[in-house]
Amino acid sequence: MKNLKSYLESGILEQYVLGDLSIEERLEVEKNAVKYPEIKAELIEIESALLSYAMSNAIEPAESLRNKVLNSLEKAEADVRPLYAASPKPGQFYKYAFAASLALFFISVILLINLNSKLNDSYTQIAVLQSGNQRFSNQVNFIDEELRDTRNALHFYQNQAAYKLVTLKGSDKAPAASMLVAFNPDEEEVMIDLSTLKMPSNDKEHQYQLWAMVDGKPVDLGVFDSEVDSTGMKKMKSVKNAQAFAVTLELRGGSANPTMDQMMAIGSI
Amino acid sequence: MSPRTKISLSEDELVKALRNKEKAGAEALYDMYSSSLYGIIFRIVQHEEIAEDLLQDTFVRIWNSFSSYDASKGRLFTWMVNIARNISIDKTRSKDFRNSSKTEDIENNVLSLEMQSGNALNPEILGLKELVAKLKPEQKIVLDMVYFRGFTHAEVSEELEIPLGTVKTRLRNGIISLRKVFN
Repeated sequence: MKNLKSYLESGILEQYVLGDLSIEERLEVEKNAVKYPEIKAELIEIESALLSYAMSNAIEPAESLRNKVLNSLEKAEADVRPLYAASPKPGQFYKYAFAASLALFFISVILLINLNSKLNDSYTQIAVLQSGNQRFSNQVNFIDEELRDTRNALHFYQNQAAYKLVTLKGSDKAPAASMLVAFNPDEEEVMIDLSTLKMPSNDKEHQYQLWAMVDGKPVDLGVFDSEVDSTGMKKMKSVKNAQAFAVTLELRGGSANPTMDQMMAIGSI
Repeated sequence: MSPRTKISLSEDELVKALRNKEKAGAEALYDMYSSSLYGIIFRIVQHEEIAEDLLQDTFVRIWNSFSSYDASKGRLFTWMVNIARNISIDKTRSKDFRNSSKTEDIENNVLSLEMQSGNALNPEILGLKELVAKLKPEQKIVLDMVYFRGFTHAEVSEELEIPLGTVKTRLRNGIISLRKVFN
């Protein structure tokens, strides 16, 4: 080197130590340092001075940092990963969290729709079962009634001697009407024979009412319809001393006193 | 709390222990250089929490890339300071750092730091503080900007509005003054 002194004084060695040179310049300095012991010695002087300067400006970090750093070195040994790519970025975390909650939301909606359709199915099934149940209990009621009427008929036929049979004949209003009333004064029992009942059909607002004439006064014995499904005998209210029976057409449910101009049939014992 | 005995090794022993990834090497490395490196990192980022994180990053990088240290090309500390400085400067140029520390008054921090560091000094070099003070102010400013703040020579020239040659001269003279004091 022509002028070693001016090279030493150029400031390039200080820049080298301070890391302020390009790669080419650095390689140049390193090459020269190997060649010239003076340059090597100068570099060592500069480094030592800066080391001392750094030490005189040292700041003691927090005591707790020591274990943290040493632990991270121990960990760094186990898995050597690039320094800044160690943990996923918070932005990414929120992205994933958002995606996860969105997925969860859609799953919930699907489950809800599914559940709702199942619930509707259940409601339909309940309705079907209820109507079946209703039909069944209607049938039971009907059979119950028929059984009762049939029992009455059986009772009548087994004890025919005890009954007085009264045939009621149609009045002017219903010449074709006729019906049979069985009366057992000992048991105070009155039944009408549904199988031989012949009365003009009544509408829904009206019903026939059976009366017993007791010492000239009408006594209510209950109501009935002209069309019945049963073929047995219908038991009416009880009465002791009846001289005659009569049927009037009354408002549905019956009246307290017979409407005389609606007299449909009458028959005396 | 009794002060922990700091582990100290010769530079050759330390380099050997670090090459072998010995635990004792890591402890000696920290005990010998953490405060010097922290002093530099702290002055660059001006933020205690960030400086602590960066000190940890620096040691991890020293530890992981130790095989690339070539003792024939310079002292260990010089190599480590450049790592610490690069990590710190990268941080100051990152977006999140600029957002978090925009309003910090750097000059005030440096002043308070000077006082603060006086208390934390090693007893063995405490007497040297006064000698350091003999550095000419214009030399000290340039030296501190480069060494403790991470400015390049060109950046110092721009910041102080002085020619690049003057920066180099002041830097060199400043280091010569240090050599007179320390070596």
